[in-house]
Amino acid sequence: MNRIQESMNKIQASEELKKNTLQYLEKQQKEQSPRRGFRIRFVLAACCILAFLLGIGGYSVYIKPVSYISIDVNPSIELGINRFEKVVSVVAYNQDGQDILQHLSLKNISYIQAIDKLLQEESYDKFLTEDSLLIFTVISDRSDTIIEKINTNQDLWLYDALTYTSDKTCMEEAHQHEMSFGKYRVYIELSQYDESITVEDCHGMTIGEMQDRIETCRHEGTENREENQESYQEHHEKHHKNKH
Amino acid sequence: MKSTEDLNRVMDAYADMIRRICFVHLKNKHDTEDVFQNVYMKYLLYEGTFESSEHEKAWFVRVTINACTDWLRYFSRRKWMPLEMIREEEEVLDSMSSEVLEAVLELPEKYRNVIYLYYYEEYSAVEIAKILEKKENTIYTWLSRAKDMLRKKLGGEWK
Repeated sequence: MNRIQESMNKIQASEELKKNTLQYLEKQQKEQSPRRGFRIRFVLAACCILAFLLGIGGYSVYIKPVSYISIDVNPSIELGINRFEKVVSVVAYNQDGQDILQHLSLKNISYIQAIDKLLQEESYDKFLTEDSLLIFTVISDRSDTIIEKINTNQDLWLYDALTYTSDKTCMEEAHQHEMSFGKYRVYIELSQYDESITVEDCHGMTIGEMQDRIETCRHEGTENREENQESYQEHHEKHHKNKH
Repeated sequence: MKSTEDLNRVMDAYADMIRRICFVHLKNKHDTEDVFQNVYMKYLLYEGTFESSEHEKAWFVRVTINACTDWLRYFSRRKWMPLEMIREEEEVLDSMSSEVLEAVLELPEKYRNVIYLYYYEEYSAVEIAKILEKKENTIYTWLSRAKDMLRKKLGGEWK
């Protein structure tokens, strides 16, 4: 043993120092426990609040529709689609639509999945007859993409569906008349050919019937124009003959 | 959270060593008691694990030296008076030990550390370098200078 070891060996922690320190540690440990518990609870609470706020923020973004698709045959159903292309709202605008939605949930799936699911639904399928017409009307900043997706969905080719776009002003007007904006767009088109038609008349008509009426009006319009043109030509020719 | 058994264990294992490191650095028993408690408090709050008993011991050495340094820095206006520490221990120290320890305590702080760790704890220079986070060459230099200083004070046969 060297002299330093020999000398240092005599320097020892007294029993009193050890005892005082252990008592001090015990006291600190008792005080630390609730304080640490409080700190943990505080951190947990802060995390919960943060998660809650983020959750609210995320949830509000999730539930906000940014695009709309109106699906009309006779049942008129509007889908609200969020920025993640998920259906977040489903509203029926006539009794047929309401009856279908009673048994069918279309929320929280992609709009293509929702459309497929709707068309495969037995209670919906009965409206898709040879005389019926299925139309999709889209309101969105990226309606081209949505329409392209609908048109390229092979499952929909069977139905010869037509696709249109509309805007939010039309949608607001449509909803004031308790009509889907898809059907309302057809009404606007029809009213251009037939001034006597009213929104109330259209409430009782299917899309197929409205489209037939448009075709008839177009046809009649063409015939009328042809007749008018013929009578004008006849008149012109007579006038010309008389003149000569 | 440390158990009472664990606190008793580290008290038995390291109390004397911590007391000696405090003795080498601090000015009086009162300071020693505060730093001694601080070191154990640091252990109480330490949440890491030790790979071995050597690792644990080295942790206590480093924490005690740092605690002493911090304490001295905090009370830097107070003059370093090694004789005061010796006097406080006069009951247990004979004249030979008093002479040796006085010579050690009169060394500059960094030399006191290496002399204590090298001659008392019998750490190698490499181990001391790790504990004090210094280069090995620095430790060799400090050891050499400290030995020279002790030799001058205590004579050729100081060890």
